[in-house]
Amino acid sequence: MTSYVVRRLLDLMFVLFGVSVLIFLMLRLIPGDAVAIMLGANVDITPERVEALRRSLGLHLPLHEQYWQWLTGVLRGDLGRSIWTGRPVLDEILARLPVTLQLTALALASAIVVSFPIGVLSASLRGGTADTVVRILAILGLTLPSFWVGVLLLYFASVYLPAWPTIGYVPFATDPWGNLARMVLPVIAVSLPMIAGLSRILRSSLLDVLSLDYIRTGRAKGLARRTLLYKHALRNAMIPVVTVIGVQVGYLLSGVVVIEQVFAVPGIGRLVIGAINERNYPLVQGVILIVTAVFVFVNLIVDLTYAWIDPRVEYA
Amino acid sequence: MRHRILIIALAALVGFGLAQGGTLELAVDSSPAGLDPHIITAFASIAITGQIYDSLLEVNADLQLEPALATGYTVSPDGLTYTFTLREGVTFHNGRPFTADDVVYSFERLMDTDTGSPYASRFAQVESVVALDELTVVFNLAGPFAPFLYNSVSLAIVPREVVEEHGNLQQVAVGTGPFMLAEVVPDTYILLEANPNYYRDGEPGVAALRYNVVPEASTRAAGLRTGAYHLIPDVDPATAQTLGNVAGITLLGVQELSYTLIGMNTTRPPFDDPRVRRALNLALDRDEIVEAVYFGNAAPGGPLSPALTDWALPVSEYACYAADPVAAKALLAEAGYPDGVDFEIVTLGSMRVIVDVAQVAQAQLAAAGFRATVTVEELGGFVQRWRNSDFDTFASLNGGTVDPDGYLDRTFRTGGATNVFQYANPAVDTLLTAGQRATDFATRQGIYADLQRALACDGPIAHVAYATLFTAHRDEVAGFVQSPTRSLRYLRNVTLQ
Repeated sequence: MTSYVVRRLLDLMFVLFGVSVLIFLMLRLIPGDAVAIMLGANVDITPERVEALRRSLGLHLPLHEQYWQWLTGVLRGDLGRSIWTGRPVLDEILARLPVTLQLTALALASAIVVSFPIGVLSASLRGGTADTVVRILAILGLTLPSFWVGVLLLYFASVYLPAWPTIGYVPFATDPWGNLARMVLPVIAVSLPMIAGLSRILRSSLLDVLSLDYIRTGRAKGLARRTLLYKHALRNAMIPVVTVIGVQVGYLLSGVVVIEQVFAVPGIGRLVIGAINERNYPLVQGVILIVTAVFVFVNLIVDLTYAWIDPRVEYA
Repeated sequence: MRHRILIIALAALVGFGLAQGGTLELAVDSSPAGLDPHIITAFASIAITGQIYDSLLEVNADLQLEPALATGYTVSPDGLTYTFTLREGVTFHNGRPFTADDVVYSFERLMDTDTGSPYASRFAQVESVVALDELTVVFNLAGPFAPFLYNSVSLAIVPREVVEEHGNLQQVAVGTGPFMLAEVVPDTYILLEANPNYYRDGEPGVAALRYNVVPEASTRAAGLRTGAYHLIPDVDPATAQTLGNVAGITLLGVQELSYTLIGMNTTRPPFDDPRVRRALNLALDRDEIVEAVYFGNAAPGGPLSPALTDWALPVSEYACYAADPVAAKALLAEAGYPDGVDFEIVTLGSMRVIVDVAQVAQAQLAAAGFRATVTVEELGGFVQRWRNSDFDTFASLNGGTVDPDGYLDRTFRTGGATNVFQYANPAVDTLLTAGQRATDFATRQGIYADLQRALACDGPIAHVAYATLFTAHRDEVAGFVQSPTRSLRYLRNVTLQ
C-alpha cells in the first residue's frame, strides 16, 4: 500500500513535468505575445521600448532557456512573478485557490448528498412514473450548460428574492453567513449536471447489481427489501460511482471556472481567464500546474477509495 | 483625559459626517491592470485614476475646458507661452501642499523615456516648463500648437516623493483629487474614500466609492435590480434595452466619441485604389447597421463624432454615405474589378458589437460585389495583426478625442502612430499641420471641415456609427452627469438619498 502510494506520487511528478512542457509550448504558440498586448494600441511605441520591455520580462531568451529558467525556479518553489502586477505567482494563486476549493467542495458534497437518494429511489421504483420523471430531469440537468443555469438563477433571485446576497464573495472568516449565502446559487448551478450524471450512474449500476444472483438469493431467504438494498446492493454498486466522482471533480473545476465569471467570485477561474487574455505566461503556467496537481491528487484518492469499498482490491 | 474624550467625540462627529454620505457601489467589468496615470490607457484604470488625480484643466460634460488645479491661464499673442495660475491651498492625499514644482516634476516624469508614457507625444511641442513662483507655472512651446490646452488634461499631477519611494505608481496612488485609494482586493473590488481636504467645497457627496469587479453583463444588471449596486457605467446596448423600463432605475444616454469602423490597408490591392474605398463606403447601409446592431441607439457619422458639435460635419455632406450598392458596383468595375473582389475582414471576438458590425457589413457589401470572409481573432492575435498592418480590412472600435487634432493626426498622418493602414496623402498632412498651427477657432473649423471631406470617402477608414453611451443608476443616486468622453469625473457630485 505504502509503496503503491509512493509510486503514484512519483507518477505525479512525471505528469506534472509533461504538463509543464505542454503548457509552456502551447502558450507560446498562441499568436500575439505579452509585449504586443501590454503596449496595445498605445500611441507612441518605439522599437527600443518594445525591446526593453521584452528584455525586462525575459522574453528575449530562446525558448529552451526560458523554459529552463522557469523549471529551475519551480523546483525551488518559485513560480515566478506575474507580468502585470509584479507579485509572486504563488501568492496570487494562494489568494484565490481557497475560494475555488470551497466552491468545488460544496458543489461536490451537495451533488453526492442529493444524487444518492435520487439514484436509489429511481432504481427501486424502476419503470414507474417517479423513475420516468427523474430520468427526464437527469437528461435536462446534463444538457443545460451551467453558465446558463447560473444566469437564470441570478435573474430569478433578483426578481423574487432581491434581499438575498447573490453576487460576489466575502471571506468565511469575516462573515460566515454572507459567505455561505453567496455560495448557494453558484453551488446549485455547478452541481446540477453532476447530480444528474451521478444519479443516472447510480441508478444503472444499482439495477445491474439488483439483477445479480446473490440479491435473488437474499430475497428468497426473506431479507427485508430495505436491508437488501442498502446493505447488500448499494455497496457493490459504488465502484463505478466513485470512478465517475473522480472524473467529475475535473469537470467540476472547469464548471467552477465559468461560474466564477457569472457570479463574480474571485477564484482561480477568474485569475486564469484574465491571465490568458493578457498573455501573463508565468501566471497561466502556475495555475495550470497547481490545478493539474490537484486533479491528479484527487484521482489518487479515488483509487485508494476502491480498496475501502471493495476489500478484494489490492494495490501492488 | 478630558482632551481624549474631546478627541474621541470629534472623531465620532467626523466619522458620522462621512458616514452620512454612504458608499456608492459601482459595478465595472474588469480590474485595472495598473494605476499609474502617466502609463495607463485602459478605461478600467482611468475610471479609477480619474477620481484620484487632477490636471491643470479638465473637460466638462459639454466638452469645454474648465479650471481644475489651475484657476486660470493666459496665452501670449504669438501662441508660444501658456502661463497658468495655480489654485491656492490644495494638498496631496499625503498632506503635502501642491505647488508649481509638482507641475514641473509631473511634466518631466511624463516626458522621461524611462517612464514610457503613451501620452508623451501630446506634449512634443513643449520645449520647457518653468515654475515662476509657488503658484505660477509657464509652458514654453516650440511652435504654435492649438490642441495644447486640451492635451494638457493628460498631464496628471503626481507627487515626486511617492514616485521616488515606490519606483512607480502602478500599485500606489496619491493625488489631489476628490477620492483617495483605500483598498484593493484583486478581482473583487477597489475602494476609494472621500478626500476630506478636497478643494471644491461640499464635494465629494459620498463617503466612498466601491468599484465592484463583475465581468458578466447580466450579473451587473441583476445586481443593479436588487440594489447590490447603485450605478453601472458603460452599459451595452442589449442590457440597456432590458434596464430601460425597470422601475427604480434611470438610464442615461449620451452620444459617444468612439465609433465602429472598417479600416482598409491602402498598400494592398484592391484597397490601394481610392475608388474601391469609396465604393465600399457606398455599399454600406449605416442606418441598417444602427438598427440591427445598436437597436437604434447610435448615429452614423464621419471622421468626427456628431457629439463634437463645434467640429463635425453632418453626414449629408458625404456623397458616399448614400447606401447605393448599384453605384458601388459600377465604381468597383470602373476601378478595374468588374467581377467584384475577395478579401478578409479581421475582427476582435471579445467585443460583441464589432463582430455584429462585421457580419451585417459582410451581407451588405456582398450586394455590391465585395465578397468578404470574416475572421474572428482574440485580443492577442488581433493586436498583432493590427500593429503589423497584416490585414486587407479590419472591423474595430476606436476612441475619439475632444480636440479633433488628437485623433486625426495619429490616425491619418503619413507615418502616424496608429496609421496602421499605411495611408499617405500629402494634402492631408498639410491640412493636419495647418490645423495644429492655426490658433484662431474659425480658421481651424474650416481646416477640419476640409479634412473631414477629404477623409470621409477616400480615406482608409469607413466610419460606421457612433454609439450612445449608456449609464444606468438606481433612483437613490442623484447628481450624476454623464460625459461623452466616458469620464466618471462627476461621481464627485453624486449623493445618495
